[in-house]
Amino acid sequence: MDSEAQQAAAAMERYCQGDPAAFHQLYALLAPRVLAYLRGLLGDRAAAEDALQLTFLKVHEARATYLRGANPIPWIYTIAHRTSLDEIRKRKRSRVRLSSHGTPGGPDSEPTARITGVAADQHPDPAERHDASNAAAGALAALAELPENQRQALLLTKVHGRSIAEAAMITGSTQGAIKQRAHRAYVTLRRLLGKGDDGVGAGAGTPAGSTEAKPPPRKEMA
Amino acid sequence: MTTGRDDGDERALADATGLSAPPPAPAPELARAIENMRPVRTRHRFGAVAAVALAGLVWPAIALVHLPHRRDLGALPLPWVIAAAALWAAAFTASLTAALVPRRGDVLPAAGRASRIAIAAMLIVAAFALFASVDAPGVSMQPEQRGWSPLRACLHCIGFVFETAAVFLAAGLFALRRLVPVGGARAGLALGAAAGAMGGFVLHFICPFASTAHIVLGHVGGMALTAGAGALLAAAIIRR
Repeated sequence: MDSEAQQAAAAMERYCQGDPAAFHQLYALLAPRVLAYLRGLLGDRAAAEDALQLTFLKVHEARATYLRGANPIPWIYTIAHRTSLDEIRKRKRSRVRLSSHGTPGGPDSEPTARITGVAADQHPDPAERHDASNAAAGALAALAELPENQRQALLLTKVHGRSIAEAAMITGSTQGAIKQRAHRAYVTLRRLLGKGDDGVGAGAGTPAGSTEAKPPPRKEMA
Repeated sequence: MTTGRDDGDERALADATGLSAPPPAPAPELARAIENMRPVRTRHRFGAVAAVALAGLVWPAIALVHLPHRRDLGALPLPWVIAAAALWAAAFTASLTAALVPRRGDVLPAAGRASRIAIAAMLIVAAFALFASVDAPGVSMQPEQRGWSPLRACLHCIGFVFETAAVFLAAGLFALRRLVPVGGARAGLALGAAAGAMGGFVLHFICPFASTAHIVLGHVGGMALTAGAGALLAAAIIRR
């Protein structure tokens, strides 16, 4: 365990013993990255903040299932992941199509609006993305276009520094699937950002048998 | 967190998702829960597996003691009897442990790893049944001697495997529901495979039919079916 994991484990242990200060220490340590992970999955900050609160509430309710001495970081990420999946499902169920004249898709079709819970400014037109002055906004929009499982793998391994094994545990997947999804996500992301996939092949994936996430090839953003 | 990497793409993604942005303060509901919290007894790493094994092993133990053993047991080579029993027991232990016991330093069992171990255990048991089944000519029974078709004999054994697996599955799914927020189907597959392996272990001593086809279809097939049932039930209960 690295020092951060040890710090989190110590705080979690005191938290389970009923020390409120330990909870706040754990929250200060992990909430920023859990929030960022949720934002990457959900798209908008408001939904991510709600999911963050729900995640820590679930952690609080499930604290008796914690194993003393274990690293709580992947566990908390797993709970956040589950919370985000629930939120995404809720959104899919509540997606509403509004129409004003005719059958969708036909010549007389109505203009259709889809309420997805994601802010419009976070889904800029792909054609306009090259013109975006803010690389972060472009990256977020490109991220939103990735399939859900690829987005999860990319965020966990490339942005949040989780190992392949941890990412597999957090998503309830296999290490092979995580490696493949992270690689595909990285290739797709670069294509969406207009950088092609040259030089990505060998470097972006993680060698078979390795349990550590490897950094993608070093190329600057366009 | 980029763990020290300064790659441009990662930085952009980290910035985009607000990795360095401060989080909001805990919500009032959460803050209240923290203020009013009491110390809790955390679980033991082997607690769930011990509870599930204890609950699930009652019926197999009763079956082994009270049901008549196969009549060819004494006529079969003892090393083979022991090796086959050890294999079924190992498949049970490995699958159940993988499904319910986290690795040292982890809080949760790794569902993906558990499913891989369970599938490997099933393949090993299937290979053993296919290539190393032994019978005692003249002593081992054929389904026809009992007036059964081979299919009926297989279905009978599959039914017994499910009977043996029922308590394991119920207790194990209860434990998984509490422990595993994601990857339920994979963990359920391992749990079902473990439960089926215990059925196969008991059948190894009580099933009078020794043909390779019967062992593969009725015993290993039963294990595969309980694994499938475990995956489906866990997926329904844990939802992913």
